[in-house]
Amino acid sequence: MTPLHRRAFLGRTAAGFGLTALQSMLGAGPGLHHPARAKRVIFLYQAGGPSHLELFDPKPKLAAMHGQGMPESFTKGQQIAQLQGKPLLCFGPQHPFQRYGRSGIEISARLPHIGGIIDDLCLVRSLWTEQINHDPAHTLMNTGSILAGRPSMGSWAVYGLGTEAKDLPGYVVLVSNGRGGQAQPIAARQWSAGMLPSKFQGVKFQSVGDPVLYIDNPRGMNAKLQQHSVEAITALQRLEQQSLGDPEVQTRIAQYEMAFRMQSSVPGLMDFGAEPASVLEAYGAKPGDGSFASNCLLARRLAERGVRFIQLYHRDWDHHNKIKEGVGYKTDEVDRPTAALIKDLKQRGMLDDTLVIWGGEFGRTPMSQGGDGRDHHIKGFSYLMAGGGIKPGTVYGATDELGYAAVDNPVSVHDLHATMLHLLGINHLRLTVKYQGLDVRLTGISGEVVKGILA
Amino acid sequence: MWRLRLLPLLCLSLHAEVSFNRDIRPILSDTCFRCHGPDQSSRMAGLRLDLRNEATAPRRAGAPIVPGDPKNSLIIQRIEATGPRLMPPASAHKTLTVTQKQLLTQWVAEGAQYEGHWAYQPLRPVPGSIDSFINRSLAAAKLTPASAADRPTLLRRLYLDLTGLPPTPAELASREPYAAIVDRLLASPRYAEKQTMLWLDAVRYADTCGFHGDNAFPAWPYRDYVLRSFLANKPFDAFTREQLAGDLLPNATREQRTATALHRLTRTSAEGGIQPKEYLAKYAADRVRTVSSVWLGATLGCAECHDHKFDPYLAKDFYAMKAFFADIQETGLVPDRGKDSWGKQLLLPTPAQEKRLAELAALLKPQSVPKAETFGWVVQTPARFEASNGAVLKLAKDNLLIASGPNPDNSTYTVTLEAAPGPWTHLALEIQSDETLPGANMARGADRLVITEVTASVPLSLAATNTTFSTKDLPAMAALDGQPGTGWGVNTYGDPRAAVLSLRFAKPFRGGRLTVRLHHDSAFRRATTGRFRLALSKEPLAWPAPFDAKKPTLAAEVTGREAAFHSGDLARAKAQLEYDLLRATLPKVVVTESGQPEVTRILPRGNWMDDSGAVVEPAIPQFLGKLSTSGRASRLDLANWIVSPDNPLTARVFVNRTWRQLFSTGLSKVLDDLGSQGEWPTHPELLDHLAANFQRDWDIKKLIRTIVLSEAYQRSSAPTPEMLERDPDNRLYARQSRFRVEAEAVRDIALAASGLLTERLGGPSIRPPQPDGYLAALNYPIRDYSATKGPDQYRRGLYVHWQRTFLHPALMTFDAPSREECTVNRASSNTPLQALVLLNDPVFVEAARAFAQRLFTQAKTFDGRVQLAYQTALNRPATAAEIEVLRGLYAQAKAELTPASAAELLRVGEAPRLAPKHDVEVAALLTVARAVLNLHGVVTRN
Repeated sequence: MTPLHRRAFLGRTAAGFGLTALQSMLGAGPGLHHPARAKRVIFLYQAGGPSHLELFDPKPKLAAMHGQGMPESFTKGQQIAQLQGKPLLCFGPQHPFQRYGRSGIEISARLPHIGGIIDDLCLVRSLWTEQINHDPAHTLMNTGSILAGRPSMGSWAVYGLGTEAKDLPGYVVLVSNGRGGQAQPIAARQWSAGMLPSKFQGVKFQSVGDPVLYIDNPRGMNAKLQQHSVEAITALQRLEQQSLGDPEVQTRIAQYEMAFRMQSSVPGLMDFGAEPASVLEAYGAKPGDGSFASNCLLARRLAERGVRFIQLYHRDWDHHNKIKEGVGYKTDEVDRPTAALIKDLKQRGMLDDTLVIWGGEFGRTPMSQGGDGRDHHIKGFSYLMAGGGIKPGTVYGATDELGYAAVDNPVSVHDLHATMLHLLGINHLRLTVKYQGLDVRLTGISGEVVKGILA
Repeated sequence: MWRLRLLPLLCLSLHAEVSFNRDIRPILSDTCFRCHGPDQSSRMAGLRLDLRNEATAPRRAGAPIVPGDPKNSLIIQRIEATGPRLMPPASAHKTLTVTQKQLLTQWVAEGAQYEGHWAYQPLRPVPGSIDSFINRSLAAAKLTPASAADRPTLLRRLYLDLTGLPPTPAELASREPYAAIVDRLLASPRYAEKQTMLWLDAVRYADTCGFHGDNAFPAWPYRDYVLRSFLANKPFDAFTREQLAGDLLPNATREQRTATALHRLTRTSAEGGIQPKEYLAKYAADRVRTVSSVWLGATLGCAECHDHKFDPYLAKDFYAMKAFFADIQETGLVPDRGKDSWGKQLLLPTPAQEKRLAELAALLKPQSVPKAETFGWVVQTPARFEASNGAVLKLAKDNLLIASGPNPDNSTYTVTLEAAPGPWTHLALEIQSDETLPGANMARGADRLVITEVTASVPLSLAATNTTFSTKDLPAMAALDGQPGTGWGVNTYGDPRAAVLSLRFAKPFRGGRLTVRLHHDSAFRRATTGRFRLALSKEPLAWPAPFDAKKPTLAAEVTGREAAFHSGDLARAKAQLEYDLLRATLPKVVVTESGQPEVTRILPRGNWMDDSGAVVEPAIPQFLGKLSTSGRASRLDLANWIVSPDNPLTARVFVNRTWRQLFSTGLSKVLDDLGSQGEWPTHPELLDHLAANFQRDWDIKKLIRTIVLSEAYQRSSAPTPEMLERDPDNRLYARQSRFRVEAEAVRDIALAASGLLTERLGGPSIRPPQPDGYLAALNYPIRDYSATKGPDQYRRGLYVHWQRTFLHPALMTFDAPSREECTVNRASSNTPLQALVLLNDPVFVEAARAFAQRLFTQAKTFDGRVQLAYQTALNRPATAAEIEVLRGLYAQAKAELTPASAAELLRVGEAPRLAPKHDVEVAALLTVARAVLNLHGVVTRN
């Protein structure tokens, strides 16, 4: 174990060091365990549990068995959420599927734009998770653990690789809502740095008020006076440092300079004025509306500015009832911007080194809930991946004939994390921090790189 | 870093002989025990290196360790091997350094002596003093200790450490002897507040439940119990017993039962569709983690799925500990609203409140009320209507008035009717729910609807409502009591019914023009009505039923509460109102109630669905001994053992944490793990000396006094080049340490400097202003944030409403933990977001304003003002160079500010302002005060 490996966890000692974990592990300069395929991640997190059965995983057998009892061989002894004690009846897909692209991959007819770029995507149909309620399932998907206080994947990425953004945080979180009214809460824990210093935590941009908390000057104070103030503070800190010789003062001076740069750069970041109308239209983004579409465009702008990990939450996929209508709303909201983002990245030559991931905390049951909805489901669901190091135009893994369990090449949450880190040039076994006697890592005690989806 | 670079160096130079606990166990634990340690399930080659007799036993290829003969010891051969024979193997990603290999070799050569792990050895008195132990190690390391800190620095350090607030300039200038100051501070309520803040991290105290809707639950009286305990210097053994098992003490007092909220501070979920058994397992595991971490310094939580990898804790120990808590009465789904919300609770009236409640109850003898059958509502068409503060009322079909447009926090709706000839006996207000309305589906903004007062051009006398589904803190009569602080409304969500308020005219209304005003003056933001109608009735007794109802929906539910409305007894109605409001505002706290213990089984690999594991009884970890109880051991037995001399851990754990509070790092650095992955203490004898003394009387103030009176504590923190070279992390205490103060203190220091700080011990949590939209990702219910108004908003950080899933951003940014889990070692970081908080958060800008106003009135010259600012915020004078920098800023500010922008800058916050004629000067001084409050020295304890 190298010195810096421990250094971040000394409690009160300085955490404002400049080197990242990997840089220190491997000596000076940008350091990786192996060559990286992706420099950054854009995670389009679909919160609430999108139904693989309406979106990505066609199941004619389930349609044929619609209304019949779900065979007990599937469900016996398995976890169940709101359907506890209820009859378990097969519920056929509520939207038709269609083949797209040269690869002929079959996905929902509700997703024509994503279908249009299907040959750039890898569709994983065999995710599974362990947690059946939203909050713990989000926590597992983000931190690899159900215990609060573990770092989120974005924090790990920034901890390991640092950031190239000069005037923005390395890990940015955006949240959007849509129509439907089934938006489950999302805790700040999901982008927390956990036991890592808070400089690695995700910074959530607000859709109301200041985009970054306290980014605006106090009312009545113009930019010039703010600048004078920061300069005076810096001058005073330098005087203080001369008399005290405390190296932590130097770090604080740097943080004030960074804060002031953020104050200057965030308004420009948020201003879509320079984007051509054609781009706004491609995404379906209306500046300032806080929609998923606008956030997708903002994600590209953040990526251009060197942000390492960009996570978009789109809420409201929790379709316990009226799933046909609900999935309709959601696909209207996400189909076009998801495709536009990937196309836009590709056109700018950025898709090669950007890993794009699309998916939620779990899937939904093949059984109906209340006759028109689906319950939470953990044994099998789907994810889309694209970009840096991902094999395009492929399908990986499969669920059984009724879409219940991942049976072919199952991919666990830890496998997903291991693969993500692998593409970023990190060996998930080696990015660890000491905490309560353990070498804690994002992938817990398991996780294998999913080689079958690598280009 | 220290352990790897400094310690081996010191060890090799200081200690001729290798010590197992200091030098060898850390290496074996970190690199070998995972596969050759206590956990049977992951053991490789059947080899254990944690036990000497196994490690030295001959095997086919030889003995892993041949004492005295490194050459023939397999472990030495293997660590020096190359290729596949190398240990630890490449797959472990653990590499031994040359020094480590040398140490292992030397240890085997010297006979491979094992020692029991230090923290598990019995605690025995060690004669000496703090300074004798520390000076001895400094002499051995040939380090010269720093001289004593100057008095201002020392006093600032002492005040911050003991109270969380710096001294005032007057306190700084006093000649009070140091020891007297120590005693005075230890006796102050501020001391209790500081200690409580740290304790609350450990016991994961928060004001919200943490999962799903993260709604507020009644916990703050527990915080006040902790405050009182520290203030009274309750011995730590009693403090422990009360929290772990206060309910089981003979004739348990209310105070002792309040203490048991400890077990109820777990995160709980009210999400529909949770599997109760799964969540009961989560809650219990959280208790094991918390108790073992806080009291035993043990990571017993690691043994939930398997035997501990590094320490002799078995999975069975985890479940045996869990079994102590199996008697706690609780449900897997803990409702967060309605009458069963939050499970078992204790009401905490004051004696005066208790007496008054009894008096009122006597007045309110149950009264049988005939079943009501009448209502006769005639919906009225509003002739004119308007809303204040910018909101707009629009008339829709069915005479419904809908509020829209700007959404102010408070608004009064005025509606004028032209009523048909009467005599009318009642006026009614019907609030319709609508999914688009966030607040209980009835209000426009906040999570609740509150009509603080209904007034009309014709006097009203009595009120009744159908909102029994709401809690009782918003009773009907509160709309007629003339008090803007009380009101009628709805504070739960998801109920589809219309809420109706029936109001009786004092004298029948003849008809004609009637003006009705709905006042929304609540402190809850936007608790304003969304959609409503008005109706009149001629019935002698018009019950509050939805206007379209065929039958009064509440007829069957009429109880004593409506008796006054029925009989027209105004005195009774007033008594009922007083009773309801008093009951609703009584402090409550979640507590532990004991019942028939649930059967506890070992869950194979922690799987809650697997019932195949063996049943276990409550027991302490087997290697620490056995409780001698007749029958099943209880939580009280556990508590008694924890504070008994038989337990070697607790005193060490507590002393170590206290040392950290006063020196920045524990004597053993890993505060929550005194096990083999923790750290061999830098001064084991000192730790045991203090711990053995502490275990004698469990006197916390005495422990702290002893430490702060030591020379080591009072040293300067300025390092010499020699210290930086030889002991960069200051583990030998040749100097004091510098560190940033806690998040709460960052807030408190600014409030204290500005003079805004409101000090009062205990009470409900407060909500300082926070940015709009910060809680937007929450739901169930969607909520607005209603900031506390008036002096309470300036209370100390300790009292800030602890919203687990979205902690107040100013606290979170300065590393305050979410308290979802037990935390005994707060991180401390230095980030740009912290700069943004100190520069731009309106709370800190307001503090700068109030500070500037104080400087403006209390000193007359610019230099005098800067000196006062430095003395107040930094406890030192400003240098000439610093004054010049600030003079420059002041001039720039005066040039940049106009009377209009100055006035705008000074408008921040509620604190009183000076006369407007000074606006530009004061605003310029605000920028100066803000610059000072942003300095590193202000948030640093030195």
